[in-house]
Amino acid sequence: MSTKVDARGLSCPQPVLMTLDEIKTGNTNEIEILVDTETSKENVSRAATSQGWEVADVSEEGDEYKITIRKD
Amino acid sequence: MSFLSFFKDKQKPGTPGDNGNVDRGIMVFENTSEVIQAENTLKREGWEIRVMGPPPEIQSGCDLVIEFPLIEELNILRSLEGEGIPPLEMVPVTSPLLQPVDLFHIKDFGEYIMVRAANMKLTVEKATENIVNVSGGGCPDVPYLAYEMVGQTLADAPSPREIGHTLCGYALQLAFEEVKRRC
Repeated sequence: MSTKVDARGLSCPQPVLMTLDEIKTGNTNEIEILVDTETSKENVSRAATSQGWEVADVSEEGDEYKITIRKD
Repeated sequence: MSFLSFFKDKQKPGTPGDNGNVDRGIMVFENTSEVIQAENTLKREGWEIRVMGPPPEIQSGCDLVIEFPLIEELNILRSLEGEGIPPLEMVPVTSPLLQPVDLFHIKDFGEYIMVRAANMKLTVEKATENIVNVSGGGCPDVPYLAYEMVGQTLADAPSPREIGHTLCGYALQLAFEEVKRRC
């Protein structure tokens, strides 16, 4: 099951912390995170990787990014 | 107007400042790595010095300067020349012109704590002391610093002073030391 984290409009480190909180719930093996800055995209991707998750996809729509992370 | 000419125009050498004394000076170096080297050398030798950021209106990129006791100018210069890192220039100045880079801003997110020093932010999970985020700056070594530090514990993470080369690395070191003090 995939869950979503909407961190648009939030500045670092909040998108990272919201992503880590979602990871910690253990309810899902796929999370979509929405952010609206390049910096947040990089920070979220890095934090997910450091937790052993894979960045499966990053798509850009206008000023927004959707990051999909997965754990097998 | 160059960085140095700003100080020269505002504060002629030997002119009393707002507090009526000119007892401090600043040293300007070729690059931030030299500033960090000079700081290490002078602190090791017991000099009373501080690394400062120039005021925002004249700051260009990642400038750093070292504030030092003017009366010791020649001794300090000799010491730095001995280490092969002489400053580009030593200029008398009063402290209101300068901003210390070691002002901390702490934000508690509950499970996490964020320490900001100057332009850099370091966020740590309190329970595990794991570094979960490094952000801010705008210097070219920030992605590398973040890559090396995120996911590591405070005990295991490399010191930004050792692996960084810019003001951002320096500021991150201050945040790193502050968060270690608090965790």
